Amino acid sequence: MATVRPDDEAFEALFTAEYARVAGIANRVLADPHEAEDVAQEVFIDFHRLHSAGAQYARAWLHRAAAHAALNRLRGARRRQRREVLSQAAEETSQSVDPQKQVEINEDRRRVRQALARMAPKPAAVLVLRASGLSYAEVGQALGVGTGQVGTLLRRAEITLRKEVGRGTPS
Amino acid sequence: MAHLADGALRRIVDEPDANTGADARHYESCPECQARYKVVAGDAARISILLAAPDLKVDVASAFDRVRSAPAAQPRFGFRLPVMQPGRRPLALAFAATLAAVALLVTALASGDNIFSPKTITPVPVTMADLQSLSQLGAYGEVTWTTRPNLQIAANEAEAQSISGLTPPNVAKLPVGVSSTVTYAAMPKAEAVFTFSKDRAAAAAAQAGKSLPALPAGMDGAKLTVTIGPAVAAIYGNLNKPSTGSDLTQANLPQMIVAKSSAPVATSTQVSVKQLEDYILTMPGISPELVAAIKAIGDPSTTLPVPVPIEFGTATRVQVQGVDGVALGDNTGVGSGVIWIKNGVVYGVVGTIKQSDAIDVANHLT
Repeated sequence: MATVRPDDEAFEALFTAEYARVAGIANRVLADPHEAEDVAQEVFIDFHRLHSAGAQYARAWLHRAAAHAALNRLRGARRRQRREVLSQAAEETSQSVDPQKQVEINEDRRRVRQALARMAPKPAAVLVLRASGLSYAEVGQALGVGTGQVGTLLRRAEITLRKEVGRGTPS
Repeated sequence: MAHLADGALRRIVDEPDANTGADARHYESCPECQARYKVVAGDAARISILLAAPDLKVDVASAFDRVRSAPAAQPRFGFRLPVMQPGRRPLALAFAATLAAVALLVTALASGDNIFSPKTITPVPVTMADLQSLSQLGAYGEVTWTTRPNLQIAANEAEAQSISGLTPPNVAKLPVGVSSTVTYAAMPKAEAVFTFSKDRAAAAAAQAGKSLPALPAGMDGAKLTVTIGPAVAAIYGNLNKPSTGSDLTQANLPQMIVAKSSAPVATSTQVSVKQLEDYILTMPGISPELVAAIKAIGDPSTTLPVPVPIEFGTATRVQVQGVDGVALGDNTGVGSGVIWIKNGVVYGVVGTIKQSDAIDVANHLT
């Protein structure tokens, strides 16, 4: 008879509790729900291979891993090329629904993701984690900084993102 | 009182209840801080719009099924400690030496009962060419794990002990400059069986453009069973742990690792170990110095050779806790370590520390 190890049960509970949030963090970076789920599943597989589901740092690890893994994808050359093709396809598809507005949304999303990809990992991660609904305490745990530092990091990261988006805007 | 910092104002935007005490009183009475708050809040709102993402609807049950059915990653012959960065020289060399040690086990099998169970340790100089030649051994047969190595970062000391069954090493006094922040890693016992294959060996040699020495009779199909671990390690330093298991580039180098492991045990079938040793030492690329060093080992069934890359490292014999040990130094002066075997347990202290500190830690380990 197959036996279920306690850690397997703990992993399932962790997965059930955190999967949507982990996928949400990746989606915040990639703006692509399908690819975000790919990233989220890879993150959980990596976690399960190396860590105990009962570890105190499990949630913080997953949140940070989701942000970094998605940002790494965003930075990949192959990813960028594919993204451009997908974005064009999305624009073409969406034109039949609400052409002008959808084109603008797609363009904004593309510029913001390109800007995120140019940012240093930590500021990019703090933006993404906070925008995904993590509390300041949770962001601090994920990034290994004190809760009191999160506001400062976030404010600086927002200023950097605005500059980066401005850089990517055609004049 | 000074005005509130931008970071504090930014937090008030998201978590107004966090603004308490003197800060809250100042904010209520300070028009300048209130004006700055409006700017910060406006920026935050604009960024929130910029970071909008398409709706995500997840099916958790289906996703869990996919994750559960994902094939386990294929472990290599040997394992990587997740906190090590391959690009960092001292630990990368230490890691290469560890892999080579596993390869060298086959040279140390006892000729009598074919069991290798080290009780002591000795340095063996190897060249990079030796390491490359020895690493090719893996292509001369097939490795199957009967129990795969499963190195894990433990949540705490108790979990590390639970995983490994070994009491984690306790450092009495840390060297100056080494952080007291400690992370524990542990691994249960793992066992691999290497089956020599005449055909694979010939193919591997042909691919490398080399001729293979004649195989000893009975070597085709001979099995070498190697047991490693269990093992436990205390890793000191403010680690930036890798965000994913496969992405090591985000890991900081630990300042010091103190590890202990049950001594590896190897057994062989079918082939005389003396034949095996002779065969391996005639492989193309093995240096005369290594051949001499292996042949000079007095009792190969109980001696663990520690390969030291002569281009980069130096090794000296030292006394640690009353037994023979090997102190490893790097010519760059960046890293050092000491390794010894006592009561069937292999101990090691390695890090970006002075050799005298490594030996001091080793002598005061409990």
